[in-house]
Amino acid sequence: MDSFSAPTSGPSSQLSPEDFMGQLKTQLAQAYAEEFLETVRGKCFDKCITKPGSSLSGSESSCISRCVDRYIEATGIISKALFSAPR
Amino acid sequence: MDPAALNSPELQHFINQEKEKAMVNEMVAKLTSVCWDKCVTGTPGSKFSSGESTCLSHCAQRYMDMSLIIVKRFQSMH
Repeated sequence: MDSFSAPTSGPSSQLSPEDFMGQLKTQLAQAYAEEFLETVRGKCFDKCITKPGSSLSGSESSCISRCVDRYIEATGIISKALFSAPR
Repeated sequence: MDPAALNSPELQHFINQEKEKAMVNEMVAKLTSVCWDKCVTGTPGSKFSSGESTCLSHCAQRYMDMSLIIVKRFQSMH
């Protein structure tokens, strides 16, 4: 059961605004992380698994690790370019 | 939660803040995706080349410049 449906079970479980904000923050963080993960899966699959074989090769797995690291780095470069680079 | 609490300034402020964060988040995610496709052409290495990282920053900044031109173009249409 997710944390939003829980408080509907009875008047004793009234949600305070503070709890609501906390739960919303947690759920948003989870949603952002899931979306990011899904994007990285797509990008790295395109880059590293060009010809799917009968099993994942060593070079494919190392490509995936590097791809994940680079994608995270790229995200940092983009936010810097948008918000802290002198234009 | 008391439905009236939804109108509290505190909660409204919180929601607006989260909305703004979501927009920024979405923009960074979108630009990263677009610029990754444009700038990272080979298989990812253990380090970005200086060409790749420069391309990524330029890509993000030019995308914003372009958005501005597009908005202006549409504004001049009516």
